[in-house]
Amino acid sequence: MNPQDYDIVLKIKDESDIAVSRQMAKNFAQKMDFSLADVTKIATAVSELARNIYRYAKEGYIYIRKKEGGSEKAPAIEILACDRGPGIENVELAISGGYTTSERSLGLGLAGIRRLMDSFHIESEVGKGTVVIVEKRRRVF
Amino acid sequence: MDKKEGATMKNKVVPTIKLYDYLLVPIQIELDDNTVERLQMQILHEIHEKEVRGIIIDVSMVDVIDSYISFVLSETAGMAKAMGCYVVICGIQPQVALTLSQMGIKLKDIITAQSLEDAINILDKLE
Ligand SMILES: Nc1ncnc2c1ncn2[C@@H]1O[C@H](COP(=O)(O)OP(=O)(O)OP(=O)(O)O)[C@@H](O)[C@H]1O
Ligand SMILES: [Mg+2]
Repeated sequence: MNPQDYDIVLKIKDESDIAVSRQMAKNFAQKMDFSLADVTKIATAVSELARNIYRYAKEGYIYIRKKEGGSEKAPAIEILACDRGPGIENVELAISGGYTTSERSLGLGLAGIRRLMDSFHIESEVGKGTVVIVEKRRRVF
Repeated sequence: MDKKEGATMKNKVVPTIKLYDYLLVPIQIELDDNTVERLQMQILHEIHEKEVRGIIIDVSMVDVIDSYISFVLSETAGMAKAMGCYVVICGIQPQVALTLSQMGIKLKDIITAQSLEDAINILDKLE
């Protein structure tokens, strides 16, 4: 992965970075002409990803880019979240929804993101870190 | 305004309006984690201090509600309920409602209303 291939790079380190990344994602999705509903879904997904980084890995990065769809197809937004945190022991369980290792949480972040986006990939290794890549295609006008 | 109230006013995250026995909380700022937690404390304090019997949180200006914000709002409503106070949320944007429902998030312990007027009607009936 090359950071230079991305339009936006967000470093997540402080709690306030969660709200900042949410706003940046929202603006970018708006500029890409996503519908209001999709802009909200994208901003919410980024908010969840940023919070997971802040909470579990302390710090990490979120990369955002526009992916051209080719001549006939509409473009997509790709969001990549990565950290070198503790990793997830049981990924299947973590994305199934309702599972959480936090005290005050619903455990619906990852499961929610998966439902909001068109594609969802997660790779995690205990002691190494976590990478989540999601995409949402814009509807063709 | 006495000294004590003056002191708590300074810590307010969101300016509130007392309406009959109810407290109107219009959220017009970005809800980051710290803000939403401070808002919870503020609401619980205000229920206690002002003998409020119903809270109306207006979220019509809020454009993202994620799982943690939902959790804290529900938690606040649960705590308020324990203090004899109902929490009604009004003005949730359609795209926010759509996102929450797609994520499978339910706002536990929270009554939802379409408008401020609606919220007051609901609270009046609950008394
Ligand atoms: N980046 C990460 N690094 C390490 N563990 C993670 C990471 N992201 C998620 N997890 C683990 O997966 C679990 C589920 O994550 P998910 O975001 O779905 O829910 P949550 O963060 O617990 O609660 P919510 O997002 O609803 O506030 C977490 O409780 C945590 O144990
Ligand atoms: Mg989470």
